[in-house]
Amino acid sequence: MFAAIGAGIAVITGVGAGIGIGIATGKASEAIARQPEASGKITSALLIGAAMAEATAIYGLVVALVIIFTK
Amino acid sequence: MEKLNSVLEESIGVTPDVSIFGLFSVPKSVVVTWGVMAFLVLISILLTRNLKRIPSKRQMFLETIIGSFDKFCKSNIGEHWRPYVPWLGTVGLYILCCNLIGILGIVPPTKDLNVTAALALLSMLLIYGSQMRYLGLSRGLKKFVEPIPFLLPLNIMEIAIRPLSLCMRLFGNILASFMIMEMIKCLMPAIVPVPCSIYFDLFDGTIQTIVFVFLTTLFVSEGIHTHEA
Repeated sequence: MFAAIGAGIAVITGVGAGIGIGIATGKASEAIARQPEASGKITSALLIGAAMAEATAIYGLVVALVIIFTK
Repeated sequence: MEKLNSVLEESIGVTPDVSIFGLFSVPKSVVVTWGVMAFLVLISILLTRNLKRIPSKRQMFLETIIGSFDKFCKSNIGEHWRPYVPWLGTVGLYILCCNLIGILGIVPPTKDLNVTAALALLSMLLIYGSQMRYLGLSRGLKKFVEPIPFLLPLNIMEIAIRPLSLCMRLFGNILASFMIMEMIKCLMPAIVPVPCSIYFDLFDGTIQTIVFVFLTTLFVSEGIHTHEA
């Protein structure tokens, strides 16, 4: 039972990723609105930054899986 | 509910071995990798037949792709960009095929931690090998104290942390996509898997490929360039 609680706590790292990517997307939208012809570069910078920020949330998921499925 | 539990456990577990002719057993990821290798070799041979000076449409399409990848490597790595293009391109193609093979109902090999760990180890050898090769041994070692000597422990730890993060990022994303798709197919097999698969299998797999190749390129360029003005 404590494994389930531990796994639940481990997945809370998703909060940081969600907030970070949300702020980044907001700034990217502002930048595109300010200068629409640079939207290609802005989009690629956004996607790469989002994928890297998401990695920390994935680490939390992997730790939760390890906690649940090992005795 | 029982079925969902069993699907969940089965999708997380290590991919089982396949026995060849009953003689010896080989991990399933290796067998699927053989299939991906055969596919890539086949389309390489078929698509590059009869290259002419005045290109046909197929050749122009291939040249566009190669040209854009060349430009990407040149703008990121800088001076010695030429030797890296074949390796990065091949690894990118391999990871792309491995990630997208989930659509066909085959278990993606990158769901296996061994495959992603091997790819991350190769990236680590590439990054630090090129740092030592292009800067010489003493200059390359001095790079670890480069901006401030205070950062020496961090730079030493990064030798292990960077490949670990590459490995875990790819593994975690593909494992999570696979698990979610299995559960969706178990609960709502009718039409819902189709749009979900477009996001989880196609989009996520492509983005993870781009991120892996881009990060390796970035680390290589960071290793080669010295911070002299």
